[in-house]
Amino acid sequence: MDQCRSTRVIIIYAYRVLLIAACGIAVGLALFVSRPAAAQVLQPVPPDSACKLCHIDSTETITLTSGETLNAGIDPVQLDDSVHGVHAAAPVFCTDCHRPQQRYQYPHQANPAESLSEFEAEIAGNCQQCHTTEELHNPGHLQAKDNPNVPNCVDCHGGHDVAPAAAFEADPVGTCQTCHQEIADPHIAEVHAEIVSNLGPDQTCQTCHASTPQSEDAKCQTCHSLLNSALTLPSGDTVDLHVNPEDIVNSMHGEQVINGQQYTTLRCTDCHKEQGLWGFPHQPIDAQTRRDLTINMQAVCQDCHTDIFDRNADGIHAQHIVEGNLEAATCEDCHGNHAIQNPDEPRERVSQTCGNCHSTINEQYGGSVHGAALLGEDNPDVPICTDCHGVHNIPDPTTAEFRLSSPYMCGRCHADQELMDKYGISTDVFDTYVADFHGTTVTLFDHQSPHEESNKAVCYDCHGVHNILPASDENSQVIKQNLLVTCQQCHPDANDNFPNSWTSHFKPSIEHNPLVYFVDLFYLIVIPATVGGFLLFIGSDIFRQVRERFQRKSKESHDE
Amino acid sequence: MSNSTGKYWRFDVFQRVEHALLITSFTVLVITGLPQKFSSQPWAEFMIMAMGGIEVVRIIHRAAAVLLIAETMYHFGVLTYKVFVKRVSLTMLPSMQDAKDGIQALTYNLGVTKGAPRMGRYNFGEKVEYWAVIWGTLVMVITGFALWNPIATTYFLPGQFIPAAKAAHGGEALLAVLSIITWHFYNVHLKQFNRSMFTGYISHHEMAEEHALELEQIQKGQLPPPAHPDGLRRRQRIFVPLAAVMALITIVGLYFFITFEQTAITTVPRQTTDIYVPLTPAPDAPGG
Repeated sequence: MDQCRSTRVIIIYAYRVLLIAACGIAVGLALFVSRPAAAQVLQPVPPDSACKLCHIDSTETITLTSGETLNAGIDPVQLDDSVHGVHAAAPVFCTDCHRPQQRYQYPHQANPAESLSEFEAEIAGNCQQCHTTEELHNPGHLQAKDNPNVPNCVDCHGGHDVAPAAAFEADPVGTCQTCHQEIADPHIAEVHAEIVSNLGPDQTCQTCHASTPQSEDAKCQTCHSLLNSALTLPSGDTVDLHVNPEDIVNSMHGEQVINGQQYTTLRCTDCHKEQGLWGFPHQPIDAQTRRDLTINMQAVCQDCHTDIFDRNADGIHAQHIVEGNLEAATCEDCHGNHAIQNPDEPRERVSQTCGNCHSTINEQYGGSVHGAALLGEDNPDVPICTDCHGVHNIPDPTTAEFRLSSPYMCGRCHADQELMDKYGISTDVFDTYVADFHGTTVTLFDHQSPHEESNKAVCYDCHGVHNILPASDENSQVIKQNLLVTCQQCHPDANDNFPNSWTSHFKPSIEHNPLVYFVDLFYLIVIPATVGGFLLFIGSDIFRQVRERFQRKSKESHDE
Repeated sequence: MSNSTGKYWRFDVFQRVEHALLITSFTVLVITGLPQKFSSQPWAEFMIMAMGGIEVVRIIHRAAAVLLIAETMYHFGVLTYKVFVKRVSLTMLPSMQDAKDGIQALTYNLGVTKGAPRMGRYNFGEKVEYWAVIWGTLVMVITGFALWNPIATTYFLPGQFIPAAKAAHGGEALLAVLSIITWHFYNVHLKQFNRSMFTGYISHHEMAEEHALELEQIQKGQLPPPAHPDGLRRRQRIFVPLAAVMALITIVGLYFFITFEQTAITTVPRQTTDIYVPLTPAPDAPGG
């Protein structure tokens, strides 16, 4: 019995030992299984430590298909000092740039890049993994990224030794100049330096070297809006190079709707279309002087404004230029260039424009009855320069033709009843002039021999030309007290009575020129009365003859 | 000369030449004058152009005017001779009888009166014409002088007389032309063509109709006898030197009339002004 009981105790004991041992093994196994993971967290190992094991301080080279060699070794210090090294915000590992990862596992597969540039291009293609498109600048370079001659990221920024942006900003020109050696050209350097020095607070390199490709027009504008210097022509004349793009937008050449047609703003190259102006640096300008340039530029206007240009060619200004008087006005002289505005808004702009060259005449005009009303009250009815002289095909005002036809010019307004009624001016002036000795002759000359000179007075011989005053003004050439002097210009022997032989544009009436009125009235009565009397008498005589013939005939027939 | 079927001597060659001069000057004056009066009419402009322009027309007009004036002067010379030397009867003077003749002619034409008026050497119709020519020429010469020499005229007349002279010159011209076309043309061309001013002779029929009284005087030999030869010669001796002096004065006067004044300068002098007076700075606009 005891023996049996002791056997049960031994079995229970052994069972307990086994249970504990099983638990221990299980715990031990569990501990063993879980051991390696716990060890990694505690002791990190870089994923590219394997890469570096081999590549650091390696002196081996890899020969590419092209025959070019690639150093297999890397400088760990250089790498650590680069922006991708210890200074980086997040660690960059070998395989972040050397992708795809599979290809770079050991043993390495042969690199498909056949040349060094292909290899670099492939690496550069991976910059976008981290650097967003906005940061990828230099549009020209990006556009041509498949061209092996165009630099990729690595070409400028380097590989393992990639420099911080500040290094480029310190000497951007120097960096670009590595490839763009034309920047070293003194002229370009000068222009570039001026532009850079004129950059405003809102302007950076990106203003010109933007991340999106610029239009030709924008290229012109970005440079010229920042340039303040002048171009010196061979003659020593200068041409201001500054252009304000807003001037064009706000000009007549900005967006316009003309006759229902929408016009877009003119581009620089629409006018500056010579081949040499499209690229940079520009070809030298042909013009020797500033004036030559202005005159030559007229051809530009001709392309669109052909009809006006042709009319202008008949005008006095263009003719003078042809004859060699280069001071005569060109398109630009009157209209301006970039900031062209509506030439007759307000109307007085016309007088100012002409006055730029004809200042003394414009002064006289300003003091005249017409000019004072224009400048003082913006009167829409008074003539401005162009109303009398025409616009583009301006005739020579010193010709016989101009002089002889001038009364019609004045008559256009002064014989217009509706217009003159507004100012209480008689419209008889034209008719009475033509009815008079002077006007009759001038009109006949105008119709029959317009190129012949006549000594007969036209409107402006008496009233003045640009300095016309109201006939009631005390300084008027035609007011009573000044009239004799005016007459004496052509009639040197004229006496005090002589001016009264002029009817002062009045149609004869009892108040004005009564003597003429009564003479006219006399003949108005006497002519019909006399001739009527004659005709009545003649009528009676014819009546007698007819009667007598009739009587003779009846007598003859009676006799038979 | 005096027979019932033949013709009668009426105008001597001098009178006929005078008439020819009158026709010439008058026609030229009308052709060059009326287009000036109506210069705005297309027909007038055409005529002026055809004659070589207004300035030429004016010169022709003035030349014809000089001819007319000279003719008028000559006429007065001849008239003086006839009246004071030959002592002819003043057959052109108007009288009450002419008025009566006119009224009778009218009433006869209308059939109210029996019998036409019996009229002398110059009947009322001819006298109307003659005196109209005298009056018209006087008006035209005076007003023409004023237009030709306006400055001289205004030395002794108010200025307004110049346009008034122009109105009168034109009015009188129109009156003269219309009178000639109606009265003269009807009486001597249309009614019957009176050739006496061209041939010198008038037919018996015309004589009987137009100058019945004169015809009767001729037939009865009642015409006044010619002046006595002695007295005639004596008066001629006085007249000829006087006439020569008068002619000289007339010619000199006429010359003065033509060249009396230089009314206006021939060419309006050109004035030279600097028209290119640019404002400073020069308008050669900058780039901007």
